[in-house]
Amino acid sequence: MSAILSATGLVKSFGGVQAVDRADLEVISGSITGLIGPNGAGKTTFFNLLSNFITPDDGIVQFKGDRIDKLQPHRIARKGMVRTFQVARALSRLSVLENLLLATQNQTGETFWNVWTQPKRIALEEKQARDRAMEILDSIGLIQKANDYAGGLSGGQRKLLEIGRAMMTKPELILLDEPAAGVNPTLINQICDYIQYWNRQGVSFLIIEHNMDVIMGLCDRVWVLAEGRNLAVGTPEEIQTNDKVLEAYLGA
Amino acid sequence: MFSYLFSFDAGILTYVSFLITNIAIYAMLGLGLNLQWGFTGLINFGVAGFVAVGAYATVVLSMTGLPLFVSMVAGGLVAAIFGLGLGIATLRLREDYLAIVTIGAAELVRLVVNNESLVDGKPGAIGINGFPLPLANFRPDIFTRYGMVLMLTGVFGLALWKLGHWCRRRLVSVRESKNKVWLTAVTVVGALVLVRADVVTTIAMLNFKDNQVVNGLLFCSVLMAALVFLLVETLVRSPWGRVLKAIREDEEVAKALGKNVFSYKLQSLMIGGFITGIAGAFYAWQQSNVYPDNFKSDLTFNVWILMVLGGAGSNPGVAIGAAIFWIYTTLTRDLSKLLPMVPTSQIDAFRMVFIGLLLIGLMVWRPQGLLGNRDELTLGK
Ligand SMILES: Nc1ncnc2c1ncn2[C@@H]1O[C@H](COP(=O)(O)OP(=O)(O)OP(=O)(O)O)[C@@H](O)[C@H]1O
Ligand SMILES: [Mg+2]
Repeated sequence: MSAILSATGLVKSFGGVQAVDRADLEVISGSITGLIGPNGAGKTTFFNLLSNFITPDDGIVQFKGDRIDKLQPHRIARKGMVRTFQVARALSRLSVLENLLLATQNQTGETFWNVWTQPKRIALEEKQARDRAMEILDSIGLIQKANDYAGGLSGGQRKLLEIGRAMMTKPELILLDEPAAGVNPTLINQICDYIQYWNRQGVSFLIIEHNMDVIMGLCDRVWVLAEGRNLAVGTPEEIQTNDKVLEAYLGA
Repeated sequence: MFSYLFSFDAGILTYVSFLITNIAIYAMLGLGLNLQWGFTGLINFGVAGFVAVGAYATVVLSMTGLPLFVSMVAGGLVAAIFGLGLGIATLRLREDYLAIVTIGAAELVRLVVNNESLVDGKPGAIGINGFPLPLANFRPDIFTRYGMVLMLTGVFGLALWKLGHWCRRRLVSVRESKNKVWLTAVTVVGALVLVRADVVTTIAMLNFKDNQVVNGLLFCSVLMAALVFLLVETLVRSPWGRVLKAIREDEEVAKALGKNVFSYKLQSLMIGGFITGIAGAFYAWQQSNVYPDNFKSDLTFNVWILMVLGGAGSNPGVAIGAAIFWIYTTLTRDLSKLLPMVPTSQIDAFRMVFIGLLLIGLMVWRPQGLLGNRDELTLGK
């Protein structure tokens, strides 16, 4: 049971606000790990620190045994850890399909001279990427929208697009920031099924979520954050009955 | 007005040749800027600076005896390096820094060439002239001339074919008959202009020796513009272009998906700069002299105008924008003949005011430009 991701003593303050205050976290390889906490607890900031979208003031982040806290965000993504955004970001004037195609890694056609020197290989890769993208779109229920502009998607559909794009990168670890927020219950169940399906294929997940059914149903382990600090960690059952956690949620 | 379209008078033909050359050069300028702004979202207000760098580098190098086309490519490369410098300095900062710095840098280039003596110790302010021009001493035999006609006809023919294709596709999707009439009218006018351009260039190539300087430049600029067009079209349709568009939409997403945003922005700035630099060489050749004052910010704004007019983010749109911009300029220039009692300076001012009004009107009724896609603009972020 080795950790695919571990963060120790992360610190980030915005002016006077101590958003993350010496917090730790660990994702076991192959697990689905939850990260919960009241609004403003610092969960999203924690994601930003892990993916280095915001540079930590202090602390260490390791992914697959390597330090990544000094690595540029795109390099972290290429290493196999991809993050999504709490407020879903669609590439509006690209089609839904193009949104997914973009996420493909190691594309020959993304180096500009290859556009002329290796057109055959690029065409082949595009075809493979397209097939894979259609498969993913099918699983997140967006296949009918494939050729529409992503800017026309509803809020919930954008959340699904975020997940689809992340899957398209063939990651080893996905950080999902509230994947179920604004998604209807039937679709939430479907997404959960797919997360479990992808997890069985070897993808690890770290999920921020306020929907406790999702957390309890999916997660092997749950970390609780409050006011930027670790409050508790354990199995969903342990967390559900933890007095400190209940207090933090009810008292908030 | 119709004489431009139908007359075979030698003077008119020469003038239309000049017009086509102008359109080709400004189309290249527009395509370069379009790559930067229309596809990547980079605000370059220093187009004139890129043009000046390309123009001066080409001219000075060619005067040392370097072959003309080698000088031109070198001019493009120097402009690309200019873009690299600006990019490294600003692209890591907030977006608007690039806009501010490009304005300043363009002004800086102009002041430098104004004060440096680049050739024969003559002061920069009096400009440079007497530099080599493309194909100026070219004496093509009849077969070569036919070959040249064939090449240009190929360019215009392809454009015509594309136009027809576009019209047919749109006719299917358009419902109201009013719009169908409008669409057909636009296509017919476009086709007329293209056929006229082909006829004029054919005559020019067949009578190449009558005016080698004008005809040589006409041939080279149309061909180069077509080449640039193919280059950018291929690029923006590739996965590489998809990354640029993603950066334009939301660079955080591009980053999260493993794209090196900084590097792509630099590439866009440099390739756009390269194209602008090449266009700069043609800009210099067409005027057959370079003065620092030819590279003021109004050049930049004209390129922005034609790009917005045609539709940023659409390469055919930008090419059409260049054509409309120059056809407008030419037709309104003749206003002074129709209204002899009004002083020319007032008419010039009126032309600028009117194109300003046109642009405002366009922004209200067709904010996406003539060829842009309306649907794209109503999309929420
Ligand atoms: N860029 C910023 N500048 C200033 N303060 C910030 C910034 N980002 C976050 N904060 C503050 O840091 C704290 C933690 O915010 P964060 O977004 O991480 O919370 P969260 O746990 O994700 O909350 P929620 O469940 O509502 O999404 C909040 O008090 C927030 O106001
Ligand atoms: Mg949050």
